[in-house]
Amino acid sequence: MTRPPAEPESGAGVSGVAVELRGITKRFPGTLANDAVDLTVRHGEIHALMGENGAGKSTLMSVLYGMERADAGSIRIDGREVRFTSPSDAMAAGLGMVHQSFKLFDSLTVAENVVYAAEPRRFGLVDRAAARRRVRALAEEHGLAVDPDARVGDLPVGLRQRVEILKLLHRGARTLILDEPTAVLTPAEADTLFGVLKSLTAQGRTVVLVTHKLREVLEGSDRVTVLRDGRVAARLVTSDTTADEIAAAMTGRAVELDRVHAPGTPGEAVLRVTGFSTDSVHDVDLTVHAGEIVGIAGVAGNGQSELVEALAGLRPVAAGQVRLQGDDVTHASATERRVKGLAYVPEDRHAVGTAPAASVADNLAMGHHRTTLSARGLLPPAAVRAHARRLVERFGIKAATTEVPASALSGGNLQKLLIGRELAHDAPLLLVEQPTRGVDIGAIQNIHDQLIAYRDAGHAVLLVSAELSEIRGLADRVLVMYEGRVAASYTKEEADERTLGLAMAGAPVEATDMNPLT
Amino acid sequence: MTRISGALRSPLTFSVLAGLVIGALFLLGTGADPVTAYRAVVTGALGADGIGSTLTTGTSVLGLALALAIPLRAGLINLGGDGQMVLGGITAAVTGLYSPLPAPLTVVLALLAGMAAGAGYAILAALCENHLGVPLLVSSLLLSYPAVSLASYLARYPLKEPGSSLPQTRALPDGVALPAFGDSTVTLGLVLVALAAAAYWFTDRRTAVGYEIRMTGLNPRFSAYAGVERRGLTLKLMALSGGLAGLVGAIGVLSFPYRFVDGSLTAPGYTWTGLTAALLAAAAPLGTVVAAFFFAVLQVGGLAMERTTEVPRELTQVLQAIVIVFLAARLRFPRRWFGRRTRESEAV
Repeated sequence: MTRPPAEPESGAGVSGVAVELRGITKRFPGTLANDAVDLTVRHGEIHALMGENGAGKSTLMSVLYGMERADAGSIRIDGREVRFTSPSDAMAAGLGMVHQSFKLFDSLTVAENVVYAAEPRRFGLVDRAAARRRVRALAEEHGLAVDPDARVGDLPVGLRQRVEILKLLHRGARTLILDEPTAVLTPAEADTLFGVLKSLTAQGRTVVLVTHKLREVLEGSDRVTVLRDGRVAARLVTSDTTADEIAAAMTGRAVELDRVHAPGTPGEAVLRVTGFSTDSVHDVDLTVHAGEIVGIAGVAGNGQSELVEALAGLRPVAAGQVRLQGDDVTHASATERRVKGLAYVPEDRHAVGTAPAASVADNLAMGHHRTTLSARGLLPPAAVRAHARRLVERFGIKAATTEVPASALSGGNLQKLLIGRELAHDAPLLLVEQPTRGVDIGAIQNIHDQLIAYRDAGHAVLLVSAELSEIRGLADRVLVMYEGRVAASYTKEEADERTLGLAMAGAPVEATDMNPLT
Repeated sequence: MTRISGALRSPLTFSVLAGLVIGALFLLGTGADPVTAYRAVVTGALGADGIGSTLTTGTSVLGLALALAIPLRAGLINLGGDGQMVLGGITAAVTGLYSPLPAPLTVVLALLAGMAAGAGYAILAALCENHLGVPLLVSSLLLSYPAVSLASYLARYPLKEPGSSLPQTRALPDGVALPAFGDSTVTLGLVLVALAAAAYWFTDRRTAVGYEIRMTGLNPRFSAYAGVERRGLTLKLMALSGGLAGLVGAIGVLSFPYRFVDGSLTAPGYTWTGLTAALLAAAAPLGTVVAAFFFAVLQVGGLAMERTTEVPRELTQVLQAIVIVFLAARLRFPRRWFGRRTRESEAV
């Protein structure tokens, strides 16, 4: 800890405090999620609530928003003590929350979404014209330009987020809680969002920002409360703190941020893709050599996931050729590719990469169950358990036992499980998507070190990430995907944040950079 | 200790106990004595007079429960148990009537033919899902009706016993029957079904394919990601499932009264009882066996209760239904009733 938590300002009855949580304690079976947490948010500020996964941020916000009941502690809104039993109580008291996964109806228009459950009425019917006027007025007032008649499903993510914010403003929210708002945004969209938030606070509204991204906290917030292990680890004023100080408070130790690893020494080509197309990937050429990490940057939804899934054999190929260690595997099944030498860490570790209801041991066995662990079709439970214990040890996965369900693991540990399982294949090619999304800082370092070690052992790695710092830290070469195409290719030195950010947003790049090194 | 309180807290325990309590209230409401009625169920099903009947019913219920549990383990629901079982039965009857082989070989052939018929018909349902996009749930259920009707037609017309007023085929030739234990109605069929249960348990716990089936059931996208080919798996599991249902039909025909009687396989509702048992146990092998036996007891004991206490046997169906409803709601006893024990924590 870098600085002892100061006494929380006494906010009772004092104007200037929008939200005051006092001594919030919330116990879940086996976990003390919040241990006497105090949080004071002043009127008109952007207050960042930081912490690693499992630090208690989400629980604290659930308590504040009436989704969970605290075991102890009190909540005051504008100095008045309140007791919420549901989110609607919280909304009535002027709170509003934008969840990480948006709660919108894709098939309805912006206006319909904004006024949903608080519709302007006329003769008992929804007054659509009034709804559109209302949305236009709100959008104009707050600089949140969006077409009221557009279908939400057709909007890009950044605009959908605006719809969520408009929804809260329409209901008269004075304090907005945003949960990891920039996870799905480009750097430019994130900047726009912070512009909007600043103008909202300038008008006297209050913003609570739940996030684990240091950069945006430093740039966009006024004050920071850091949680660790369910307790307040630090209360900081943004203008006189540093990224290192916050990171140390989050992890309880000094961490090296945004480390740029030394480049690898590329050898033979392991993966060679030419003229490759699927329904949403167009004419992609790329090569990954042994001892090299090739990074694919891009805003989510520009074809990166589809490309990787197709390379893993999980999606039909429309045109082109894929060679793995010299052999044509364009039309090989997922299993054939794995046998040939491919391991794959998918983007969605809950829905695809693991079976959360299955035990840690069963999750670690997948893919190994036909090779090293079984003989003549038999899969001895003892072999599965021994394999699981080995990987748990080797990759530092924290699990009570190997028999607990994978859903009992924290995000970071689940990701270590997934990465450990795939690294253990020792396959010449590793496809890895978003290796550290939603993972603690401590675990991020561990995962990055593992990937670098894997590369240095002479394996080829294709890395897809939406985190620019990750791409820049790990990749020896960087490709940027935009609208299903490889829009640009950079060496490690060329790939600075601004250049990548522009290419990700679809800015034209010089044609000389278009040829990936082969 | 952890294991015991875990079992006590499971939704299964809660559902069964809640079913018994609500059943008792029903009994009180109709003026009957619940203790007497429940005792009648237990002695009727497990007493010396009832155990044979329970094991015979249990053979069919367990057979169908396994048939439905095997695909269910991979998240596939086969609702066509009736059709597959009846086709197995009528095929076994035809084989038994017309096979030129000696009786013992005919029995074996009839069992195999019954299994093949059930398996083939289930494969048809799987193909509908794999290639025509008809959900298995729908294809298997709808295909069931024509199969039942076809068997009914065969039993009532071409194969009908001359001179009988019942819709049944001619009796199988002498000796074309499964060996029975003593003079009971329990046949070798029980052993076959028990062997199937043992094989299922072994496959589930100790083989690579059993592992793939379990993982597919827990998360189909996870197993697909690792290369498990879903269509092939669907086909194989449905073939096994239909084969087992066909086996139950064949066992029914090769046991007393040694013929195919229209409706005798479907009327007791083995498919639905079996499905319930499989769902109750989440298709786990041992749990399915226990649940199937439990329902066989209820079914046979219900009849005994009706005879001795004048409580209608429908009560046991009410009991069964309540258990299912509670189970579907996943209710369980509150944790604090079983002391403060820490389960696997959410944030290890």
